[in-house]
Amino acid sequence: MLFLDLLADGVVTGCAVGVVAVTFTMIYSTTRVFHVAHAGIYTVAGYSTWFLTTRGLPFWLAIICSIAVCAAVGALIQHQLYTRLARRDAPPLVLLIASLGALVVIQNLMAALFSPNILQIPADWRVLTVGIGSIRLSMPQILLAVSSLVIFAGLLAWSRYTSLGKRTRAVAANEFLAEITRLEPRRVYITVMAIASGVLAVPGSLTALDHGLQPYTGTLVLLTATIAMIAGGMGNLFGAFVTSVILAALQTTSTLVIPGQWSIAATFGLFVILMIVAPTGLFARRPR
Amino acid sequence: MSEPALLDVKCLVAGYGNKTVLHDVSFQVMPGKVLTLLGHNGCGKTTTLKAILGLNDRAKGEVWLGGRRVDQEPVSARVAQGLRLLPEGRGIFATLTIGENLDVVADRNCRVPDSRIGVQEVLKLFPALAGRLSTLAGSLSGGQQQMLALGLALLGSPRCILLDEPSIGLAPNLVERLFDMVREVCRSAGVGAVLVEQNVSASMKIADHVTILNNGAVVFDGSPDEARESNFWHFF
Ligand SMILES: Nc1ncnc2c1ncn2[C@@H]1O[C@H](COP(=O)(O)OP(=O)(O)OP(=O)(O)O)[C@@H](O)[C@H]1O
Ligand SMILES: [Mg+2]
Repeated sequence: MLFLDLLADGVVTGCAVGVVAVTFTMIYSTTRVFHVAHAGIYTVAGYSTWFLTTRGLPFWLAIICSIAVCAAVGALIQHQLYTRLARRDAPPLVLLIASLGALVVIQNLMAALFSPNILQIPADWRVLTVGIGSIRLSMPQILLAVSSLVIFAGLLAWSRYTSLGKRTRAVAANEFLAEITRLEPRRVYITVMAIASGVLAVPGSLTALDHGLQPYTGTLVLLTATIAMIAGGMGNLFGAFVTSVILAALQTTSTLVIPGQWSIAATFGLFVILMIVAPTGLFARRPR
Repeated sequence: MSEPALLDVKCLVAGYGNKTVLHDVSFQVMPGKVLTLLGHNGCGKTTTLKAILGLNDRAKGEVWLGGRRVDQEPVSARVAQGLRLLPEGRGIFATLTIGENLDVVADRNCRVPDSRIGVQEVLKLFPALAGRLSTLAGSLSGGQQQMLALGLALLGSPRCILLDEPSIGLAPNLVERLFDMVREVCRSAGVGAVLVEQNVSASMKIADHVTILNNGAVVFDGSPDEARESNFWHFF
């Protein structure tokens, strides 16, 4: 059953994209920065894990280190770039351009340090497959799906129930009030960037393990994630994740009826139609 | 004057960019008293309150709170020492529930040894909020939102609250209730208040002292009775 295989493949990819979309949404709704450099973090994750495993670290330990590396890079971007610009009252467009700049720097730095060619993370078990009914999934795919769902659920629970999560939502809702009630928005921004960047290391590394890694692949992932964020209803974490899965599944299954090189164009076409029909997104909260 | 002032603002200058909005504004708030700050639209009332809290980066002059000079300290330090602002518009976190609103602010402001007003005290003050802790704050009525906003401003150990037009959008009887509450909190806890208002008649009822601003300068400073007899009263 080719359709089921493609669907499973799409859902797995969609889970990874979903984590990107959810964290991107978290960052956008809290800091109001359209943080395209997030794609760079995804790339850094892959290279960091590749580097550490080629130096002899076991894969799981390399991922844990990559989480720390990504969290640090994210916090650094917030603290050294966005906060500085915000202090000078930079408008959103300037922040977006700064973020684009950071993305280009990160991608080219990875290309310069690790070569622009495809690299493969050394781990023999990555070719093992597991059959579920008629579908066969590789080990990295299964880990990717499971870890993404766990991260997604974890982020939802974190945002809803922990005191830091509530504080983050408060800052997102009313930054001025947060400032005058000592919620310290600037610190919250850095924390959110660290968390959102850190968890990205898991799908970033696992995708790299599955497909090999190249400096510029993160961009397309982010593009899909951005669409998912908007189409899912801005600021809605659940909508962002589910829409990511739907989009990715559509992209893979559409290759059955249209040539593969058109699948991305088809997804984006669908996005345009959706935005005309439902401009506030699929899962937008109803205005009261 | 025998009793020392709770809040002492001396020669406050503030503005935006290269435009100076406040020129040498000075006034004093006594413990447990309400100072009503009046003035036309755009005369600098909001700017005054923000500058006192440290939210105007062009502010100069002195701000003393309880005998301690605070004008060089960051906003969060001034808030920690008891300066509170009920901002213009709705001072609530609209996408959080009432309970979450109170929790996040209490979490940061009530865990100090001298904290007097916790979530329970606020709920006692505003029983209307108590039964609806899991309601989204943004779906409350204007009056209830303003009560929540005042509750948030009171959490912890407030010493002087700055209220920026709290009556906007409220029915007259609600305004009266809200103001009575403000006065009650001030009297019972020795908290000072600066009340900026468009609703002159209601705010004069609870005023212990009146300051009138015009074009960023203090043109009158005295008791409510003196204010009514002054040359500036025809302003309103
Ligand atoms: N962010 C700002 N940037 C530039 N100018 C500002 C800013 N905020 C206020 N002003 C100007 O400063 C002056 C005083 O404004 P302020 O908000 O303090 O007035 P106000 O007395 O509170 O008025 P209102 O009764 O309408 O609330 C006005 O002329 C206004 O145009
Ligand atoms: Mg004002």
